[in-house]
Amino acid sequence: MTLATDTELHSITANKVVDARGSACPGPLLEAKKGIGGVSLNGVLEIWSSDPATKTDIAAWSSKVGQSFLGVLTADGYDRVFVRRQK
Amino acid sequence: MAEKLVIIVTHGPDDAELATIPFVMAVAALASDVEAVLGFQADGVRLVARGVAEQVEAPSFPSLAKLLADFRELGGTLLVCSPCLKSRGITAPDDLVDGAEVVAAARFVAEVTSATNSLVY
Repeated sequence: MTLATDTELHSITANKVVDARGSACPGPLLEAKKGIGGVSLNGVLEIWSSDPATKTDIAAWSSKVGQSFLGVLTADGYDRVFVRRQK
Repeated sequence: MAEKLVIIVTHGPDDAELATIPFVMAVAALASDVEAVLGFQADGVRLVARGVAEQVEAPSFPSLAKLLADFRELGGTLLVCSPCLKSRGITAPDDLVDGAEVVAAARFVAEVTSATNSLVY
């Protein structure tokens, strides 16, 4: 797994953003599952979550299902989690 | 889905957290492209009695009703122990949520032995 740098993450314009803030586990994961289907191959899905466990959960999920976890940016009270669709 | 996870649920609505966590795991499995089977035994069968999930909500978790809806939407399988229902006066299928399948021991054995892994709560 090759993570993007913060600079690289800041330069990404996601193809789709899903707002899962306020959603408890497994809500953000479910939003990622649903959202990735709406992104074209090699496109980027960005998940917003206020659950601090989401960043490791999405990393594990990405590895499990064959997507590429790019990394996380910390925003004001939530995380921006980036996944590139690989399949 | 080449992998299958079977989760046996034995706690009912009296323990909201232990009733909810199996659903969380099952939904996470389905979201991870793993087939998921929830098997309800003992007091766990109360969770799939019609109207019960709407009354179960563990702190910091989604409601059981939401998780049940997600589980069904993602194609999960609900199996319910027949004698466990009978001993609690729950009538199948009228008293059960849609999609719940009443089964006996041999079906549970078949599911567990064909699964990649199983969990018991």
